[in-house]
Amino acid sequence: MVNRYIKLWLAFFRNTLSRDMEFKMNFVLELFIDFIYYGSLFFFFQVIFQYQNSFGDFNQDAVIIFLILLYIVDSIYVFFLGGNVFEVNNKVRTGDLDFILTKPINPQFFISFRYVNSYALISIFILSLLLLQLSYNYHNEQFIIINYVVCLISVILGVSIFYSIEFIIACLAFWFRNFSYAGWLAGELIKYSRRPDSIYNKWFRNILFTALPMAMIVSVPARMLLFGPNVNLLLLQFFISISFLVISILIWNKGLVKYESASS
Amino acid sequence: MTKYFSVLRINWIQALEYRGNALIGLFAIFSGLFIEYQIWTLIFDSSNYTEIAISGSDQKFNFLQLIVFIFLSIIVGQLKSSWATSFQMIFEIRQGLINKYLIRPISYFWYHFMMFIGTNSLYYIVYTLVIICFAAVFPEILFPTIQSLIGFVLSLIISIYLSYCIYFIMVCFAFWFGEVRSIVLAYNLGMLMLSGQYIPIRLFPEKALEIIRWTPLQYLVDFPVSTAVGLFSFNQWLYNFSFALLWCVLLTGISFIIYSKAISQYEAYGQ
Repeated sequence: MVNRYIKLWLAFFRNTLSRDMEFKMNFVLELFIDFIYYGSLFFFFQVIFQYQNSFGDFNQDAVIIFLILLYIVDSIYVFFLGGNVFEVNNKVRTGDLDFILTKPINPQFFISFRYVNSYALISIFILSLLLLQLSYNYHNEQFIIINYVVCLISVILGVSIFYSIEFIIACLAFWFRNFSYAGWLAGELIKYSRRPDSIYNKWFRNILFTALPMAMIVSVPARMLLFGPNVNLLLLQFFISISFLVISILIWNKGLVKYESASS
Repeated sequence: MTKYFSVLRINWIQALEYRGNALIGLFAIFSGLFIEYQIWTLIFDSSNYTEIAISGSDQKFNFLQLIVFIFLSIIVGQLKSSWATSFQMIFEIRQGLINKYLIRPISYFWYHFMMFIGTNSLYYIVYTLVIICFAAVFPEILFPTIQSLIGFVLSLIISIYLSYCIYFIMVCFAFWFGEVRSIVLAYNLGMLMLSGQYIPIRLFPEKALEIIRWTPLQYLVDFPVSTAVGLFSFNQWLYNFSFALLWCVLLTGISFIIYSKAISQYEAYGQ
């Protein structure tokens, strides 16, 4: 079963890679967008650091590592899922979802993984090297392997939470019929994950670690990498990622019941 | 002129059909403001700042003034944004759909400007109500004089127009390159920071400010917002307003030149 889905994903990857190779300029342009985006966030903190040397546990070096990790999480998400999630709205609006539902495959898997943004691999590669270098310097020129292992697990869980939240919002298209601004709404919510959790006050941080788990997306992996494994936090992240994944599946199934295929 | 107002009216009606967008826009404003509030609270509390010096003015900002400034910057930043209209224009150019404009007695530039205003019209109303509420709560910070209110409205019009011109010039590159959505997207992302939408450009490092002063970026967000909070004397405002107008003339000229160059070689086959 799992093998079948891995083979299928590899077929998706080959297909989209050959498509992307036809438009090589897009590769460069997408990387250019990433560069601007990363640059603007970095600039934001450079301005802030004129006034403040640290945000709670995160000093300037830690914030830079946090940012690199944020870009990596973002790139991983974009690579596997980013090009697909908000296609739900188009598929529902135009009725093209019919063609997915008739295939002998889990429709949520198909609609979530169909297109792979292969250009993101380049970002992931470059950023990973940068992260290794910066974290090596941060830990007084030593690699603490356990931190990297736990951080990697935490990143996977974080990406899963990122996906679940965006997918749940995208599924609102089943109720609103045309929810083209889902991406905007999701972007505004995800924005809370783009700052270290320590900038928020205590009561809001509690929310970001539980009900609206934005701190789980990047801040927790960053904490694992910088300050070492925290089993309680990792277990909480695991629990929340599973919960949100289950909620996304439930909402998707509810939405399918509501789907009328009217536009097709 | 009537034909352009018809375009405005139609887009206004369309905008009303998507009232939910304005709600998301409002959420975006307050959510952005909330994050900035958290960051600056931390800075003011932990560094014992009571006021922050701002570039280009003798005045200093206290915490409340800074938050009101950022709040208005986020609103102005959203009002000048034109990605939806830009993407439609790029699509039309790529697909050869621009033919329909060529056979009509209208200017492509002004037609889309009216579309841009019409599409954003719902935001103008909703955000105006929010600004009125804020002005009522902070009367001594926001629009301290009637001149600052009039100046704000005029500089906001200039800001929206300048922003449209920049988008139009970027869109025109689609005549040569086909796909320029990436450029528009990169511009949007960059402008969130560089135009001062989330951090006032007056807090930027001096080197960055030196570069920005040679561009129209300072007139997109900072100029209207600084006017609204009364940072300018009348002479300073007039000086800035004249330069903003000069940028409008320059960018309009560039827009028309690029468009006429592009349309003369446009083959309209589409893809």
